[in-house]
Amino acid sequence: MQEVKLVVSYDDYEDGIRMEKLIKDLAAKPEAGSLESLVIGDWGQAYESSPQEFMSTLIESAPSFPSLKKLFIGDMGFEECEVSWIIQTNLTPLLGAFPELTSFSIKGSSGLSLEPLQHAKLEELIIICGGLPKEVLSSITHAKLPELRKLELYLGVDNYGFDGSLEDVLPLLEKGLFPKLVYLGLKDSEIQDEIAKAAAEAPILDQLEVLDLSQGTLSDEGAEALLSSDKIKQLKHLDLSYHYMTDEMIRRWKQSGISVDVSDQQQSDEDDWRYPSLTE
Amino acid sequence: MSGFTKIVESLHQSDDVPDLDREQPLLLIGNPHNRRTQGLQEARHRLGLKPAVVMPYAQLLQNWRHGRTMADAVDSTLSVPLIRIDAPGEDWEVERELLFLGARKDTLPLLDGMIAEAFTAEQVLALEQEWGRIYAPAQWFRGWKACLDRIGRETREIWPEVRFMNDPADIQLMFDKRACQQHLSSHGVHVPPALQSSQPIRCYTDLRTAMQYAGMNRVFVKLACGSGASGVVAYQINPRTGDEIAVTTLGMEQIRGKTIFFNEGRLRKYTRSEEIAALTNWLCAEGAQIERWMPKATLDQRAYDIRQLVAGGQAGHAIMRLSHTPITNLHLRNERMLPAEAGLDEQRMSLVRTTAQAAMSAFPNSWSAGIDVMLTSGSNPRAYVLDVNPFGDLLYRVEHHGLGTYEWEMELLRKEPIQHA
Repeated sequence: MQEVKLVVSYDDYEDGIRMEKLIKDLAAKPEAGSLESLVIGDWGQAYESSPQEFMSTLIESAPSFPSLKKLFIGDMGFEECEVSWIIQTNLTPLLGAFPELTSFSIKGSSGLSLEPLQHAKLEELIIICGGLPKEVLSSITHAKLPELRKLELYLGVDNYGFDGSLEDVLPLLEKGLFPKLVYLGLKDSEIQDEIAKAAAEAPILDQLEVLDLSQGTLSDEGAEALLSSDKIKQLKHLDLSYHYMTDEMIRRWKQSGISVDVSDQQQSDEDDWRYPSLTE
Repeated sequence: MSGFTKIVESLHQSDDVPDLDREQPLLLIGNPHNRRTQGLQEARHRLGLKPAVVMPYAQLLQNWRHGRTMADAVDSTLSVPLIRIDAPGEDWEVERELLFLGARKDTLPLLDGMIAEAFTAEQVLALEQEWGRIYAPAQWFRGWKACLDRIGRETREIWPEVRFMNDPADIQLMFDKRACQQHLSSHGVHVPPALQSSQPIRCYTDLRTAMQYAGMNRVFVKLACGSGASGVVAYQINPRTGDEIAVTTLGMEQIRGKTIFFNEGRLRKYTRSEEIAALTNWLCAEGAQIERWMPKATLDQRAYDIRQLVAGGQAGHAIMRLSHTPITNLHLRNERMLPAEAGLDEQRMSLVRTTAQAAMSAFPNSWSAGIDVMLTSGSNPRAYVLDVNPFGDLLYRVEHHGLGTYEWEMELLRKEPIQHA
């Protein structure tokens, strides 16, 4: 897999270099033709400017990247921009420009929209953020992604943009929404227990291989529901890493015979408050 | 380049006398039972060198307090020693004596209109230690500078030809992050730009105004005389939403209507303006270096910088410090890794070494320091010096040419005794 990551470093940004230039330079290189994965990292002051500034350049350059299968918009760390501060935009035009794409990842949800969400070949959709707006959840539940195999969503907390409730998540647990889906991640949530209870007997488990409820505030309450579900036992793997379960519950998981990740146990803080992993 | 003159023979040895008999004694001013002193003595023992003569800070400072001088505390028959001034930290008696030495004779603790915490000499002597509390850092720093000045003065009275591994005046300069960064910058060493302001930044409000004016939305506010992660705040303002976040190991507590500050072992995140104001008001009053928070290069989503030891002009041991947070020099939980283990390429390592050596050469009267260097992200990184630590040779589990840090330094010294330019 040939991958290129484009980053406008702090110094470069100060020197007036912008992401448009990096994209144009890359498109002009001979290896552009065989590039399979393009990662757009920090585009400079991502808390103020959105990908809108380079989106048309990327769309115009699309023919120079005929082999591109994977696209990641916003792969940056806290040193570059707090995840909840990254400004996104409606990224749907990118999907139209890259019909051969199989994997699309997004980091940051402020200003994000994916409307309408449709793609004939996309197999993987990942959204990493501090809080996923319910509008985006709605776009996903109404999406046309017939080839989707993996859906990984960081739901996050209301402070960082999660303005929905369990009601907005439930449609994703229906069977047949994405017929080929085998990996479902509903993670980093402050309502992880509610989600776990809803997921424990959800129809979608019949088609899933992996259920990923990691990085959130899962406690024994949600874990109990999962552990007593026969549907959960049929999974190939269950990811519950980063959680607030007790030692006793961890022991029960380890004896369950289920392939489960219960690493990274968290302790509630002094006020018994629990934070998901990605809340900065 | 290194600022040292290579010499074949020392001024105090003649050619016909074997080295071992007339080995220049090493006088170590430090805390006798800590890991620094022990590490150095063990290294000397392994290399067959005589142990350093240790002068404890506690004894020296008490002597001064009782009107005596250094001459009363040292063996007058000691031939002209090489002096290593080591870190005074991790000893409450010494901390208290330094606060005593820094106590002002006048009653007004006013410093540029800012009120820093202050204890009178009598109060200091009655202080009981509260774990983690940071006591009057500006006063402590006055005491520490006075201590260094006096060491320099009194040792030169005893031995006019004395040599220091690190010169007392340089140690002061390295310790003061404001002065040190300016000094480096004026010597052409790249450092993160300081927040410029036409008026002194005396408080939170001044800080916000200066940041807005400079368009600098992310800064580090560092206690000018703090060590390690102590008193370091990574502060950022979202210019679009006005949100602000301060990440730090500083804790605050209200005791009898007064806010006291202490070091916590873990990172805390403050998002309320009142709390951030309290933190930054205190830092500004005690003396703060405020500089651009430059994004560091990352490895597996962890930001890193590199502690590069330089001694005798040579770059030796290097340790990468990685963190999921903006503060890499937090001792308790951050990972350390050898650059080779991390797969850092030679281009980057060489950049780190030459940058650290350039920083060291800005101090021609000093021989050894741990230089903290960061690289920027991207395929064409640049290097910036974040800190110069005059006691930066306490590094565990890292070898250079098969030697630990103290062994390497002692071996260098044996081969090439110090003769400052």
